[in-house]
Amino acid sequence: MAQEASSVRNARRAGMITTRGHAVRTGPELSSAPLVVRSREEEETVVTFPHLVWKEFLSGLAMMVFLLAVSVQVNAPLLQPANTAVTPNPAKAPWYFLGLQELLERFPPVMAGVIFPGMVLVGMVLVPYLDRNPSRRPEDRKLAIGLFTIYVTMAVAFVIIGTVFRGPNFSWYWGQVLGHPGLNSKV
Amino acid sequence: MSSGSYEQNPIKAFASEVWGSVFRHGLPTTDKVAARTALTNFFLHIHPVRVKKSAIRVSYTLCLGGLSFFLFIALTISGLFLMFYYIPSVGQAYQSIKDIQYVATFGLVMRNIHRWAAHAMVITVWLHMARVFYQGAYKPPRQFNWVIGTALLLITLLLSFTGYLLPWDQLAVWAITVGTNLGKYGPIVGPVSRYIMLGGRNVGQAALTRFYVLHVIALPLLGFVLMVIHFWRVRKDGFTGGL
Repeated sequence: MAQEASSVRNARRAGMITTRGHAVRTGPELSSAPLVVRSREEEETVVTFPHLVWKEFLSGLAMMVFLLAVSVQVNAPLLQPANTAVTPNPAKAPWYFLGLQELLERFPPVMAGVIFPGMVLVGMVLVPYLDRNPSRRPEDRKLAIGLFTIYVTMAVAFVIIGTVFRGPNFSWYWGQVLGHPGLNSKV
Repeated sequence: MSSGSYEQNPIKAFASEVWGSVFRHGLPTTDKVAARTALTNFFLHIHPVRVKKSAIRVSYTLCLGGLSFFLFIALTISGLFLMFYYIPSVGQAYQSIKDIQYVATFGLVMRNIHRWAAHAMVITVWLHMARVFYQGAYKPPRQFNWVIGTALLLITLLLSFTGYLLPWDQLAVWAITVGTNLGKYGPIVGPVSRYIMLGGRNVGQAALTRFYVLHVIALPLLGFVLMVIHFWRVRKDGFTGGL
């Protein structure tokens, strides 16, 4: 009996069955996998109300407290009224698009504006169909996790670079981190 | 709580009847009552009655999906209050933001909540995607729910982007000018897409009207519909858990 339960667990770990015990139709290579019917006592369950609802309530409450605390202390930015005759320098996109702006700074427009973002967008949508590895265990997914970590690191790095290290004309700028030299000297 | 006391007090009996008609079940004192409550309550029906214990560990989900939805609700409510005052006109938008900040009661804090919650939502949605990826939770049978999730991430970014323009200050107009310039390199539709987004060649009244309509009606509605499908599929496919 215990052996049977562990085989259910292994099959689920390998992604061959769903949590409801349905066989997964991923391709001919898996069609020989045995259909395993879920045994109720196999994994410990709890009622969602109140166990999950309570956690959701507390996390929402914590977020509300955090939002209120920040909103009381820090005001949303509001600069001068819009003036199309005066271009601020640097002119930056919202922070979540700074990665794209950073790419355009470094690569020709066709690569930075079409090929890279297109690959990221299409690749992101197709992730579940490109990744044919049925296992969910991190040790079986070194390639997928490696590639995604490269993407995450680059995305975060570009946003930080765009926000902090890009000054006038969107050129490299240490001023925000080290202080502007002109502000410290008595010129 | 005995029924005897209600028979003696008609007001209490009536109150009890009204209460009982709204909330069909009491507090979840036993698993059976909890299950019946979850089944018969519209708002709780979003969840299955039972879940694997491992699937709702805070260290597993980090509450990121739930927090994203919470922020969406917070943004909808705070945005509603802002809409009472905001005027989507090039000549009046900036002044109406000033009115929100300095004239409307709690207007400043309401605008701050809206702004910071929007930034927070971009972050939580993005982290939720990363969390789902690292746990391989998009694998069969949940492939299509990942696709819906990427659409929701895109809508979150577009909601934030369209909202960015509305204050009509220097930050807004130039960020949108730069942002829409990024889009013009897109294949085939690239140059046209900027014109369609802005309703012209420059960021002007046409762009403000389009961004406003997208921001307050079209994108939230589309996002809400996709969210409902997203949650429904999570419920039907079962929670992953158990890594």
